[in-house]
Amino acid sequence: MNGFLYGVLLQWKLDLRNRTMLITCYGVPLLFFGVMGGIFTSVMPESRETLIQSMTVFAVTMGALIGLPPSLAEIYRSDVKNAYQANGVPLSSGLILTNISAFVHLLMMSAILYVSAPVVFDAKIPEHPEIYFSGAVVLISVSLSVASIIGLAVKDTANTSMVSILLFLPSTMLSGIMFPSEMLPEAFVRIGQLFPATWGYRWMTAPAFSLGTLCPLCGIFLIALLACGILLRRIRTR
Amino acid sequence: MTYALEVKGLRKSYGEREVLKGIDLCVRRGEIFALLGVNGAGKTTALACIEGLRRYDGGTVSVNGRMGIQLQSAALPAHIKGAEAVRLFAKWNRKTADVSMLAALGVDGIANKQYLEMSTGQKRRLHLALTLICDPDIVFLDEPTAGLDIEGRISLHEYIRHLKAQGKTILLASHDMAEAESLCDSIAILRDGEIAFAGTVLALTEKIGKHYNIQIRTAQGIETYEADDIGDSLIAILRDCQERNAAIQDIRVDRGSLEQHFLKIAKGE
Repeated sequence: MNGFLYGVLLQWKLDLRNRTMLITCYGVPLLFFGVMGGIFTSVMPESRETLIQSMTVFAVTMGALIGLPPSLAEIYRSDVKNAYQANGVPLSSGLILTNISAFVHLLMMSAILYVSAPVVFDAKIPEHPEIYFSGAVVLISVSLSVASIIGLAVKDTANTSMVSILLFLPSTMLSGIMFPSEMLPEAFVRIGQLFPATWGYRWMTAPAFSLGTLCPLCGIFLIALLACGILLRRIRTR
Repeated sequence: MTYALEVKGLRKSYGEREVLKGIDLCVRRGEIFALLGVNGAGKTTALACIEGLRRYDGGTVSVNGRMGIQLQSAALPAHIKGAEAVRLFAKWNRKTADVSMLAALGVDGIANKQYLEMSTGQKRRLHLALTLICDPDIVFLDEPTAGLDIEGRISLHEYIRHLKAQGKTILLASHDMAEAESLCDSIAILRDGEIAFAGTVLALTEKIGKHYNIQIRTAQGIETYEADDIGDSLIAILRDCQERNAAIQDIRVDRGSLEQHFLKIAKGE
């Protein structure tokens, strides 16, 4: 087994030992699912139609934006980076491995929601599972890329959580999972469109694939990749 | 002469501040070499430039062999276990993971211990183990015993000697002259980005060998003198005491510790 594969497996194990990662990827989303799922379905029975999608958007956004940046900051804003650089571990491995591991965790969480929501809250299973899962995969990827910018860019580890929350709150509030985005003022709708959560939710709730939702997500992803590349290069030459 | 490391005219500035002002170093194969200096003298910067971890502004660095680098400030992810770290670094370096090297370093107990649970000494030794994974010819150690207790220092010194016996060249940066005196074949003292002394520990001892501290206790108190010529100086001091009618109660003459002389050289006194 080479360094990369071992690194993927090891990062997966490290995440399971990391309480922050477990809480943000599983604990809080499941708690939110349990409480808000109950409230949503009793106040608005029609929310059962999109409960799986809305809970998935919340879980992915939470896990990516709140869970990933501290793991990256631990590597790139500390002496771990020095140890890697000095001993032949590629600096980019930290970014890639933590992203792969977080991706698997968030995909698992999405699957848990997909399976449990119909049982617990009688939620409607998406008519097109392929659209739901492809939407989840794309949303997870784009959300993680945005979270990576926070982990690489914020210099102070303590500030990482603050910046993460500043992005997480509008992401979920304006995405349409709490209330229909048509009810929001135009300015808020526009702001919501800056975040992947909005487009991810639209993708997963749409009856068919649409370029209209794919393009903004691709755009955000490419910009985030470029930013991560620049930030990683800056860290390497510092 | 085959050198493991040759450095010529190494220069490095941070903005307007010139940290290395053209230093020259030659480290022979198989020796333990110490780069000494007080805090802020430029040791870590010099080492980082030599190791290739930091860009330098001028000069040449020639390293003849594979390098293993232990940095002063290095860490690992909080939840990684000792054995996992050894395996991870070995696999990235395409080497066989040999967890038994932790036992050789006296820290086999950390194989299943998470990094955040390890003591400073255990972390130091784990980082040394990671440094040695690539079977380096020349090992760079930046303040290897910083933060260690006496037992830890002695044990690490023994291991460094063991590495030398294996034919490895060791370059360590330290501000501890006593460490260099007991461990090293050659030293260089860095002062304000320049080499203030370079040579063997023996050469430094001989250089300062004729320097004496004289302490005379009289009824009036203790008087201390420094002298390069012990004979004439002692006679002059005794004559002076006699003229002052100062009754001598005790006389002590010593050559001062290597550490005291190192401090004088390092601080340019």
